[in-house]
Amino acid sequence: MNAATTRRGWWSGRAGRRMRTQLPLFLLLCGFTAVNLTPVVWAVLTSFKQPVDAFAVPPRLLFTPTFTFHYQVWVEKAFWHYLINSVVISISTVVISVSIGTMAAYGLSRLRSNTSRGVLFAILSMRMFPHVLLAIPFFVLARMLGLINTYPAMILALVAINQPFTIWLMRSFFLDVPGELYEAAEIDGCSAWQVFARVGLPLVRPGLWVTALFSLLLAYNEFLLGLVLTGPATKTLPVALAEYGAEDINYWTLSAAAAVGIMLPIVAFMMLLQRHLVRGLSMGAVKG
Amino acid sequence: MPRRERPRPISKGTAIIDDELAVAGANVAVAAQPPRRAVRRRRPLGSASSAWLFLLPSAAALLGVLLVPLAYAMWLSLFDYDIGAGIDRFIGLGNYSALLADQQFWDSLGRTVLIVVSAVTLEFTLGLLVAYGLYRLTFGVRTLNLLMFMPNVITPVVAALFLRWIFVSRWGLLSGILIGLGIFPPDFLGDPAWARAVVILSDAWQFTPFMILVLYAGLNTVDQSQIEAAQIDGAGPWTLLLRIMVPAIRPLIAFVLAIRLMDAFRFFDQIYVLTAGGPGTSTETITLYTYALAFRLLQVGKASALGVITLLIVAAVILGMVMTLYRRDRGAF
Repeated sequence: MNAATTRRGWWSGRAGRRMRTQLPLFLLLCGFTAVNLTPVVWAVLTSFKQPVDAFAVPPRLLFTPTFTFHYQVWVEKAFWHYLINSVVISISTVVISVSIGTMAAYGLSRLRSNTSRGVLFAILSMRMFPHVLLAIPFFVLARMLGLINTYPAMILALVAINQPFTIWLMRSFFLDVPGELYEAAEIDGCSAWQVFARVGLPLVRPGLWVTALFSLLLAYNEFLLGLVLTGPATKTLPVALAEYGAEDINYWTLSAAAAVGIMLPIVAFMMLLQRHLVRGLSMGAVKG
Repeated sequence: MPRRERPRPISKGTAIIDDELAVAGANVAVAAQPPRRAVRRRRPLGSASSAWLFLLPSAAALLGVLLVPLAYAMWLSLFDYDIGAGIDRFIGLGNYSALLADQQFWDSLGRTVLIVVSAVTLEFTLGLLVAYGLYRLTFGVRTLNLLMFMPNVITPVVAALFLRWIFVSRWGLLSGILIGLGIFPPDFLGDPAWARAVVILSDAWQFTPFMILVLYAGLNTVDQSQIEAAQIDGAGPWTLLLRIMVPAIRPLIAFVLAIRLMDAFRFFDQIYVLTAGGPGTSTETITLYTYALAFRLLQVGKASALGVITLLIVAAVILGMVMTLYRRDRGAF
């Protein structure tokens, strides 16, 4: 092999051989990523274009960028109002959902595994309910109770729908806590609540953040329930955008600006959660 | 999980002893600070029964906002209930028999199966290949992984608009490129076959990254010695993937497929924004049909019946899958 190295240069050496398989693989994966990100990049570009540039055929890559449409859609077209709705609804959902979900997850982690397995299965099967089926009684009941176009309707619905996810993910963090710690605290005279609040909770604090951020994302992204349960006063961003984007094609650059704005917090979210993405996505089934 | 609470070392000299104490549970004492010297008071409720108490708030929420509404929907499905016309008449299983005789129901079911099966197959195959590619790559993996992952977290409505601007006729990026190349582009969202393809692609665009990320993490958990043994026996990269690694992560595969199937069946947001079920009804899935029945035509009873049927189908599919796989791999869930 050494002789070959000297005869044919670095390319056929050990490192060269590695590069010959690694480089095409790398380029292939880069190509895949590039194709994957094209729609995002294209939308970002569109949001900075004047309509003249946006509707040019063939598509134009070079143009003078403008912030007009970002300003218009967020300030003049009241998207800030929908942003407030989205924030109020998602934050309230997360606070309620994570508090009660964490307690449930703790309770499950302390049950004998045979018992908790049954409960966990039941909870997972609730994740299977078609949202459109739930939306019907939600709508009928909310109409009866006069809750349509109020925050509580949307928050309650989202809390319930997020519970299975929250419980499963939090439970995976509680499973990492050795049971002896709880027992030791019990022997030391802690009440059941103290064992949870002073021993369990501090130990899963990182998991609490991960779970909270994931539930936040689920609530922020929800569309179908918003479509059914919110009205002019409580409309969330996805609902507003869907109504807006469906209108005249002349609004193209405006809705692009809105869409890109809605995406920004999510990019921040991804950066924050890089290390925990796998765990959050698999509801704790895989520890990333 | 890093240990979070540690007793403060009394001095540098005793730090080691202190560490040993910490292992013995002293960290609990610091974290919890219970009345240590008090005579042991009445023992707290047996830990099993108090564990159930912690489940109560969540159980109340699930019962009140998920199970009761579900039961109510099942009840409504027995009525000829029309919000618009104000009809509310008990008709037993009338809605179900009407649906089973309804061609639109069977068509939408067929389309749903087509879309779900194609999308999930595409996502899984592509996801496994890319995950394996990342697994074999020795540099830049983290960055690529993160960039690839982006479409998965974007709000589905936003994602659908992004794709709309690629596929929309005349002004879309793809049409623009094709025209630039001198090819007359098809109307991607206006032609039934193309519209279905775009809908499948849009699901794949958002959820292949999910498959990649989870399967990549799974591949990394495969026992290294098993892989090396196979390599010594002369297994090539493909044999390694299909004969060693895929069987090793089968429980994980079952889990992701189950999750993905559940979600694909209720795939709604993107179709609603991209095609709204059109052109005609060529991309109308069972979910969109239910939505249209309930919230456009206000036939709440019939829509509930359709929702219940959907739930039964999804449950049967998932249960069948779990049963088959679970018998072989205990502990998949």
